[in-house]
Amino acid sequence: MARISRIARDRFTGEVRALFEKFLAERGNIPNMFRTMAHRPELTTTLTSHFRAVIGPGTVPIALKEMLAVRVSRINTCDY
Amino acid sequence: MAKQFGVSDEALAGLNDPESHPFPPDQRAALRFADAMTTGRGEVPDEIFADLRRHFDEPQIVEMAAVIGLFNYFNRFNNALHVAITLIDPEVLAQQAIQATTTHAGQALWDQVVMLLGTGRRFVRVELHGRGRDRLTLLARHGSPPSGGPDTAVAGEIEAVTRDGATRTAGDIILIVPARHASGVVGVVAVQRDQPGAFDEEDRAVVERVAEIIAPHLATRT
Repeated sequence: MARISRIARDRFTGEVRALFEKFLAERGNIPNMFRTMAHRPELTTTLTSHFRAVIGPGTVPIALKEMLAVRVSRINTCDY
Repeated sequence: MAKQFGVSDEALAGLNDPESHPFPPDQRAALRFADAMTTGRGEVPDEIFADLRRHFDEPQIVEMAAVIGLFNYFNRFNNALHVAITLIDPEVLAQQAIQATTTHAGQALWDQVVMLLGTGRRFVRVELHGRGRDRLTLLARHGSPPSGGPDTAVAGEIEAVTRDGATRTAGDIILIVPARHASGVVGVVAVQRDQPGAFDEEDRAVVERVAEIIAPHLATRT
């Protein structure tokens, strides 16, 4: 079972709330990792911003970056 | 998410063992870099880095190292804190269920299910997804619904499950929804967790979608 609670949707406020609404619009859900991270709102906002910068359009095809993410997660036996 | 960005099913399967899949040389170099960064102390041998350099320039290498590093961060965070898998993609979950019933191992599993059903058991529980902390479980169902209506199932350790509720069973909470096809309920999809109150509305919506997707496949197999 989860060792840390995930923040309930009605407890999101401010910048985190806006971020999560964007998640919902884009992918239909809010990843549990981000809901867990939301215990520390500053980490949630900066992590999300960094995540988008890293995985989004850049100098390497997004498909290759996704493949690297999947490979790393499989090595770490973590579902992604 | 990867499929949305053009990664094929073959490539995704190949990522289980990249050395035995014909990835193009640039992708192979990048994947070897990812493996080296992720295993052990993250030392990347000179020959792997030299191969990477043949295919990518410095900004690209930095970008890939950031992806690999970030996902190691995510994975370690999730593994350490036991963050449950987010049921975000019903299509992917359904695909896993379908694959598990059609791949070689899945076929053997399924044959066993059919055999057990043949002995007169009404339900058989099949674990499809044992990795991680959640288990995607499929309850194969055969014959007419038991008393209590089409949304009620009775099976072994699962004493009573209904469409509208999670049921505590031996310390586990099972969210279970029926898979319906033209002729009625053809199976059940369940996700099991070991904590009370583990499921919310969005989880249920996802599992219901999975059940909807795999129902035709169940219908042809029961």
